[in-house]
Amino acid sequence: MPDDAKAPPHGGGFQFKVRGPRDFYGGLVLIALAILAILASGDLPGQAGFAFGPGTAPRMFATLLAIVGALVALTGLFKDGPPIEKYAFKGPAYVVGAIILFALLIRGASLEYIGIPLSLPALGLVPSTFIAFMVSILGSSEMRWVESLLAAVGMTIFCVVLFVYLLGLPFQLWPWT
Amino acid sequence: MTDLFANLWLGFSVAAHPYNIGFCLLGALVGTLVGVLPGIGTVATVAMLLPITFGLPPVGALIMLAGIYYGAQYGGSTTSVLVNIPGEATSVVTCLDGHQMARQGRAGAALSIAAIGSFFAGCVATVLVAALGGPLTSVALLFGPAEYFSLMVLGLIFAVVLAKGSVLKAIAMILTGLLLSMIGSDLETGAGRMTFDLPELSDGIGFANVAMGVFGFAEIIRNLEMSQESRDIVQSKIKGLMPTRQDLIDASGAIARGTILGSLLGILPGGGAVVSSFAAYTFEKRISKHPERFGRGAIEGVAAPESANNAAAQTSFIPLLTLGIPPNAVMALMVGAMTIHGIIPGPQVMTKQPELFWGMIASMWIGNLMLVIINLPLVGVWVSLLRVPYRLLYPSIIVFCCIGIYSINNSPTDVIIAAVFGLFGYWLTKHEFEPAPLVLAFVLGPLMEENLRRAMLIARGDATVFLTRPISAGLIFVALVLLAIATLPMIRKRRDEVFVE
Repeated sequence: MPDDAKAPPHGGGFQFKVRGPRDFYGGLVLIALAILAILASGDLPGQAGFAFGPGTAPRMFATLLAIVGALVALTGLFKDGPPIEKYAFKGPAYVVGAIILFALLIRGASLEYIGIPLSLPALGLVPSTFIAFMVSILGSSEMRWVESLLAAVGMTIFCVVLFVYLLGLPFQLWPWT
Repeated sequence: MTDLFANLWLGFSVAAHPYNIGFCLLGALVGTLVGVLPGIGTVATVAMLLPITFGLPPVGALIMLAGIYYGAQYGGSTTSVLVNIPGEATSVVTCLDGHQMARQGRAGAALSIAAIGSFFAGCVATVLVAALGGPLTSVALLFGPAEYFSLMVLGLIFAVVLAKGSVLKAIAMILTGLLLSMIGSDLETGAGRMTFDLPELSDGIGFANVAMGVFGFAEIIRNLEMSQESRDIVQSKIKGLMPTRQDLIDASGAIARGTILGSLLGILPGGGAVVSSFAAYTFEKRISKHPERFGRGAIEGVAAPESANNAAAQTSFIPLLTLGIPPNAVMALMVGAMTIHGIIPGPQVMTKQPELFWGMIASMWIGNLMLVIINLPLVGVWVSLLRVPYRLLYPSIIVFCCIGIYSINNSPTDVIIAAVFGLFGYWLTKHEFEPAPLVLAFVLGPLMEENLRRAMLIARGDATVFLTRPISAGLIFVALVLLAIATLPMIRKRRDEVFVE
């Protein structure tokens, strides 16, 4: 999604200048979302007699969203607004990476259907928590190794005690259990 | 009247059960603990801690969640006073005078007056909730699908009016939230909607995933961008916890006025707690004989907004418990929690599960008492917590959230969905879209669609039904008036000022 915002702040070769890029590109993305929703609900039956079909409400709200999105984009075209702030890359990448890694490792996952011939083993709660902590901490520019490792161990122990022993939730703890 | 006392008695007998007191205490404690952390607001706190209540019995879980909510709110005030970082929107105004008091070495007085004001407001609001719960429930019986739909429209319009920034963008967020809520199986036919043939989406997107992504993860990503040097922690010793007699006298009027304002504004759907604290502060400043003292450590400037936001936090349970309609994002989370426990919020809760309804109301009072008891001695602990560097804090929050989301359904996909919503939330903040209306609409979506479809079917496809039934027409009218007011240029300007201040 951040890629949309990296488009140049000028409206291509038009003589118009985008005055409020935040609103303009924000509105465009909303229109795109609305079109996606209309396409995705296109195969659903609509109004039948007096009754709404499953597709009626999604198409109705998607159309409204497209209209409002267009209005937001138009505001951005004609009204001055602040420029789009720069997107950070490192922070989001490590944070999201850590979360996805946790999701893939806790129960194991096969990556074949996204084209990678690799199958991740189910590591269980303890290693997954530790790994997710270490990956996410790499996103900070002030990372220190010893301190981070200690904190990761501490947090892992805390989570195991809280979720498994105190709350009694069923978790696989280790790869071999 | 005797009914009221009998009901409250029933409530207290439930809430005073040692287990439930324990849950309430624990909730208030963890709520404060997380709420104190800068950058994590009330909604994020409740969203994060939601999973830990799933294993409890329904009454205990809701009591604990209510405790978490008050705790988080109080935690937000603590950071406002001590480090000048409002933990959330409701305590933004507390910063103004609270932090000034802290700089003058009166942090203890500021924090205790906030606790005392909150407690007083809590007592009044508890009685109010108990007294209004019954009559409002009977009003709910007059509501058909058309009225429910119009009421939810009104609630969403309130959220639009109260969101900061552009009205148009807030409406866009509402529509996005409604659309997202429609992903998954259709209620009536069971047809998969907008699932892109992914089996993981056939049950729809879980509410906790959206909330944790948009509030929790997005906030962390955003905080990582900002430099952490801007923190300004009051290092000087906090001398004298208790306020002086003079402080109490000065603050008493402000507490009473804040309570009244907060109670009234809290009942309105759409995020009463935020407005009420702003309104209470502005009101105090206006009627004060020495308005110049405000912003320089006036105790009224802490007492009034703190009492108001607590009163509003409590009375905002009224629409939820009587009509089943969440008035703000936190209440939306409560609905999520109730549904997970198999309780459908609404008027039937009071008649079918009186111990739950009254137990929760009684636990509000107990929760407030807990806040006074735990927070005054623990101020020192909260301060030391603020010294934990953010670089260690945020990975802990991330893994905690991951485990929490995973534990709801044992589903790794849910965790990935939350990550996607984290990125989406980050994008939203870059374009100044408010996530709160989106989340509220996401929760109301299924209810709204169901009532819309039912109303249309009953009216034989006639859309004017929303305008011909008197209650429904009245609600729609109020919604339109609100929307018109919010877009009028003069009022818009003042509204912006309120949020800038």
